[in-house]
Order: sequence, then C-alpha cells, then structure tokens
Amino acid sequence: MVEFESALKSLTAEKVDFVIVGGLAISAHSTGYITTDLDFCYLRTKENLKKIVAALEPFKPRFRNFPKDLPFIWDERTLQSGTNFTLETKIGAIDMLGEVAGVGSFEEVKAESVSAKLYGCDVLLLSLEGLIKAKKAAGRTKDLLILPELEALQELLSETEE
Amino acid sequence: MEKLSKERLEKIRQLILNPRPGSKVAEAKEFGIDLTLTFGQLRKTPQERVEHQQSAMRSLDEFKRQTKELRKRING
Repeated sequence: MVEFESALKSLTAEKVDFVIVGGLAISAHSTGYITTDLDFCYLRTKENLKKIVAALEPFKPRFRNFPKDLPFIWDERTLQSGTNFTLETKIGAIDMLGEVAGVGSFEEVKAESVSAKLYGCDVLLLSLEGLIKAKKAAGRTKDLLILPELEALQELLSETEE
Repeated sequence: MEKLSKERLEKIRQLILNPRPGSKVAEAKEFGIDLTLTFGQLRKTPQERVEHQQSAMRSLDEFKRQTKELRKRING
C-alpha cells in the first residue's frame, strides 16, 4: 500500500510538474476503486527530473523487480534513460509515466486535468474524460471493468452541471 | 474539483434511482454496478474520498496479514 500523503507532500514541496493519472485519480473522482500504487505522468525536462529525484529520494526508490544485489543509482541520468518507470519505495509502489496511452504526451495529459486539494496539497488529476480514454486504450480486463462506472459518473456529472 | 451542492446531489440521486433507458447510468446498472455506492462517494470531498480509499486499503492489508498468520499457524 502506498502512503499517498507522504508522496504528494514531497512532490508538491519540490514543485514537481506532474498529473495523477491512475487509481488515486479514479478514487478522487468518486468511485469505490481501490489501488495499491501511485501513478503519475510527469514533464520530462531536465529541471523537472531533478525535482523528481529530490522529491522521491527520501523514500529510497528502486526499480521494481530489480535484483537487490545490483547497484542502483537514483538520479536524473537514470530517469533520462527511459520514459516509464515502475518503482518500489519505502512508502509503496510508485509508477512514473512520461505519457499516457489514449491521452498522449504530458502536455496533453495536463490539458485534460482538473485541480484538487489532497492532503493540503494543490494537485492535478486526470479528468474523468481523460481516465475513460486511458482505460479504453489500456484495454486490459481490469481497465474495462471500471469503464461502465466511469462513464455513468461522467454522464451524471455532465447532466447536472450547474 | 469541489464537494457537490445538495441540489446537484439530489438531481444525481434521482438519475440513479430512475435511469433513462439507454443511458450510461442504465448500462452501468445492467452491468451490475451499484451506483448508490458511487453516490455515497460523490457526497464527500475529494480528500474524504481518497481517505476512504486508504482506509479500505489498510483493512485489506490487515486482512491479508491475518490470513497469512492463520495459515502459518494451521500449517505449523
């Protein structure tokens, strides 16, 4: 289980440019979905990578399923070597995505985000519309199972918009 | 993203109780989703929704831990 509060406080304290895109975003939008990790999409500039390194450093991140006996260096160079990273940390599993299938690049994900306050932090969450696109694109059984609820929720909110 | 007003929540409640045929709400109900649970979440702030999720995760972790312990005790 991931400690969302610690992760979000650290990411916002370092002013990381990120958008929450996974199960946490789905929960914040009102479904009963339970997730065990934090997924976020991030801007891939050198400056932002530096902020991510600083924000997650206290939680001792390593690649998930990376052999324990192999040395692992958590720095900007490591993050420059890929786009998507699945990490295990002292506070739980964190997945970093450079882009989101069905939505697009970080800029496109950000354009489809909504703001919210979580644990006293101002954060961006992928919108319901964005989550529906992402789940459709992912197309795994677990993604497709949540779709009817997300689509119903979207309909309820759009039909009652004030 | 803010807490929804009482008036809006009431409109949503009505749409859940009396879904329009062919609507996504009707489809979700047919699929087996209990939208009254979704409605329960809609009444909360985003923070409360996430806290509810964390609490469910903690319970699940505790359940898994206790099941593991029990299995160990039974199997020696």
